Amino acid sequence: MKAFWPIYKRELFAFFVTPLAWVLIVVFLIVQGMHFFLLVDHFASQADATGDETPLSAFFGNTVLLYLVLFVLVPPMTMRIFAEERRSGTIEMLMTAPVSSAAVVLAKYAAVLTTYVAMWVPTVLYLVILGRTGDLDWHSAASAYLGVLLVGAGYLSLGLCASALTRSQFLAMVWTALVLLMLFILGVGEFVTREGSAMHEVCAHVSVWAHMNDFASGIVDSRHLVFYGTLVVLPLFIATRAVEAWRWG
Amino acid sequence: MASWKKGDPSPPRPPAPSRGTTPPALISVSHLSRRYGSQLAVDDVSFEIGKGEVVGFLGPNGAGKSTTLRILAGFLGPSSGTVRIAGHDVLDDSFEARRAVGYMPETAPLYPEMRVVEFLRFRAELKRVARRDRVAWVDDAMGKAGVLDVASKRIAHLSKGYRQRVGLADAIVARPPIVILDEPTAGLDPNQIREARAVVRELGRDHTVVLSTHILSEVEACATRVLLLHQGKLLAEGPTETIRSMRAATSIELVLRGDARAAEKALRAVEGVAKVAAISSRPGSGEAGDLPSGATSAKDELTRLRATFAKKLPEGERGAATEKCVAALIAAGAGVREVRGGGGSLEDVFASLTHEDDAAEGAKETGEADA
Repeated sequence: MKAFWPIYKRELFAFFVTPLAWVLIVVFLIVQGMHFFLLVDHFASQADATGDETPLSAFFGNTVLLYLVLFVLVPPMTMRIFAEERRSGTIEMLMTAPVSSAAVVLAKYAAVLTTYVAMWVPTVLYLVILGRTGDLDWHSAASAYLGVLLVGAGYLSLGLCASALTRSQFLAMVWTALVLLMLFILGVGEFVTREGSAMHEVCAHVSVWAHMNDFASGIVDSRHLVFYGTLVVLPLFIATRAVEAWRWG
Repeated sequence: MASWKKGDPSPPRPPAPSRGTTPPALISVSHLSRRYGSQLAVDDVSFEIGKGEVVGFLGPNGAGKSTTLRILAGFLGPSSGTVRIAGHDVLDDSFEARRAVGYMPETAPLYPEMRVVEFLRFRAELKRVARRDRVAWVDDAMGKAGVLDVASKRIAHLSKGYRQRVGLADAIVARPPIVILDEPTAGLDPNQIREARAVVRELGRDHTVVLSTHILSEVEACATRVLLLHQGKLLAEGPTETIRSMRAATSIELVLRGDARAAEKALRAVEGVAKVAAISSRPGSGEAGDLPSGATSAKDELTRLRATFAKKLPEGERGAATEKCVAALIAAGAGVREVRGGGGSLEDVFASLTHEDDAAEGAKETGEADA
């Protein structure tokens, strides 16, 4: 695992030295900023609103914007992780150094996850603004960010796995987007299937939408934790095996 | 040192893992095979490489050189057989085996967005060079590879020759006992090739060097021992002097004026000449054309002949045989316009080893591949 740090540092460096990273971050922050502005504007114009919705819960839950943003962000963030190294041949140099496959996969994953967290950090400013002008439930805020972290971690893990399974960045991107879309649609199935049916249970279990609603209202359900734990660990495991398999391919 | 010998289907030299009186070889490969799907890229290859050797893998493209080197470097796994690097099995003890090797892949792929010195420090850290040594070792490697003047340039902005040198610096930065270079001069211009060869020779002082090439003169310039690979099989191995002697002319080419029939007859009579044949010149070269049929009387007709020496003629006597040939021709009344040593190209060496002597005949002009 000694190889973890050098690879982690290089991955972060490689990501932030490309214009793609900055474009993604700027787009992300513009979208989130507009989202926040519209929400605040909306709630400000309904001063008498008494529902249990708050700008906070609306920012993270019950909004399609979160997922749209993730669809657009995650595939380009993860597509190059392995596919680019295999296309350019640098993987040969990387894997002939004394490094373990697990260290390579984990370092690259940790780097992309760090980037993802760095993208969200500026949005804490919105909460600070909310907290200054009114009441803010910091517990809910923390659980909402936990949700954002978990959803992102799962998505990025899937994206990394796709990148390890193909030589083409483009295919890695398409595969990631497709899998994320399927996961999302399966989750929406919660609202269209009959309650009590097995399908409904499955859909509810994987519904990122429903999970985020819970997280945004301050509910941390252990089932969600297990789900995202699986969503992170399984693709990473597959990616590690894929990296080992290159030796025989 | 093993004498030059032809490989036979049974392994030429089964490496003995026993720790007898001789120290264990640094690289020991036994019955190595590697498949890609149904295709056999490396076929039952066995060899040993000792400390301090500079070994060249020689063979045409697709002979299995790169695959073999990739297995030695730990990038690919063997389909069957065992490979031990500095005493460590590449499968069971891959980690330690990789630590003992500095590897430069073909075309030296690098991260283009990094600066040279950043890249090498990253590689040094990855290869577990202690923190306190890192700066010094990287500087040392840059000095040896000749990239100090571009240390702070981005790799993307480097020329092909410099990139290759950065790859070389990477291979030696952790001071491994073994350095493996896959086609270290591919794609370089003649000046860069000369420099690269000098660097490789220099490396041979501190490291055991394994390199691959499809250019004969390259191994002659760098290596102390040669392993000849052909279609995945180890055809032969031996010290470089042997291949140098194999390169000695196996035939001579002559351009003559005058009676071709008589000249041919005179050449055949010379002791040591096994075969005489007329060869056509390259089309459009403006030189003498094919042997004209029935040109017995055309005094000024130019003819190109190849006289192939007998196999058993010792290499040292070929010069004398050449003199005799010329003397015989002059005696026969032919005007000798040109004498050139033929054979000695990689194809000829392969042909003589595979006993496909005739395959090298006629089909091609000789001595061009690396003249």
